[in-house]
Amino acid sequence: MSPAPYGADVGGLSGTGTGRYEAVETAAESTATEVDDVADRSVDRAHAKELFRRFTQGRDPALREELVGLHLPLVEYLARRFRNRGEPLEDLVQVGTIGLLKAIDRFDLDRAVEFSTYATPTIVGELKRHFRDKGWAVRVPRRLQELNLSLNKVVAELSQEVGRSPTIGEIAAKAGMSEEEVLEGLDTSNAYQVVSLDAPVAGDDAPSVSEHIGAEDEGLETLEYRAALGPLIAELPERERRILYLRFFRGMTQSQIAGRLGISQMHVSRLLNRTLGVLRQGLLEDGPA
Amino acid sequence: MSNPVVRIEIPASGEYLAVLRAAATGLAASLHFTYEQIDDLRIAVDEACAQLLARHGGADSLRVAYLIAGSRLQVEVTVTGDGLSAPRPLPKDTFSWQILKALTDDIDERVDGLGVHLAFSKHGGPR
Repeated sequence: MSPAPYGADVGGLSGTGTGRYEAVETAAESTATEVDDVADRSVDRAHAKELFRRFTQGRDPALREELVGLHLPLVEYLARRFRNRGEPLEDLVQVGTIGLLKAIDRFDLDRAVEFSTYATPTIVGELKRHFRDKGWAVRVPRRLQELNLSLNKVVAELSQEVGRSPTIGEIAAKAGMSEEEVLEGLDTSNAYQVVSLDAPVAGDDAPSVSEHIGAEDEGLETLEYRAALGPLIAELPERERRILYLRFFRGMTQSQIAGRLGISQMHVSRLLNRTLGVLRQGLLEDGPA
Repeated sequence: MSNPVVRIEIPASGEYLAVLRAAATGLAASLHFTYEQIDDLRIAVDEACAQLLARHGGADSLRVAYLIAGSRLQVEVTVTGDGLSAPRPLPKDTFSWQILKALTDDIDERVDGLGVHLAFSKHGGPR
């Protein structure tokens, strides 16, 4: 991989991205001018230079870690420019930190440029890549993406308030929208695909599901369809299999499953819909039985 | 007064299932189903249609009737076609049956001269 262009102008990110990308580009704009302020406030530049000097000599991991800690405010600052795009800020900071690490490893002290100026395009690049990789499966207009994200929030809050899943009317009232708009937004919700089903779930807001489902597989295995379905189900990530089991064999509601797995009900809904879609596609590919 | 019925017929292809889902969503919302109940209903409609199509070659169309009975929505999906393969009832020990059973209040399947009918109903509203 080639190093980020030296002193690249972050504000000048070219391209005429549409939809979500456009939003990302806008978010990244005007960062260049403000980055130095952030850096000035949070980083002792002389100290950073000294650390870099020592780091380039021995590549000491401890020094690297210190450099990361020193520049974390820059990452946090840049990550905040991308929040409200449906990703938890902590995840964005994590992604940005990967960019920071790359920048630290490539930084050349002999170049007459501040590290923060050098690192910013790398960090922003990493964040943008993150959004590109975790994009919407179907091209969804930005208006609908934003509608869906705000509905996510409203549904979560209302569920807390009323202690059950809210009705469309309740959601509409709380969100200050028409019921039509709410329905449109909810229709969009399952077009949002985080990653391919094969990929491990990373950067997710859920705690990892460490419990094994061994015994719980029984329900799934007693089915006649196991010959066709078995391999498909076996390929599912553990969490998806668990959701299938809890919903269809234990009769737990999406909210109950959400509580148990520590994710939102709408997230359970998305995983459930996506998983069933994958299973159906797998079965239909074999043609009518 | 008889119960209102909304009927939709789509070509026997998965491409048009979104239309059926959208109709189910709109009707359920008007019956004050909760968000979760609507999602359950959508999945049930998908599953009923997908497995009817999967089990019957030579299908021309899927007909869906949504019958509104108070706060209950009854859904009947019928697969039809001149060259429809022999009716194959959905076995009770399949994953599909399990899904439908978990998501709906009752399911019933029957066969007649028109084709194979799969019916289920779901009661909704905040509880």
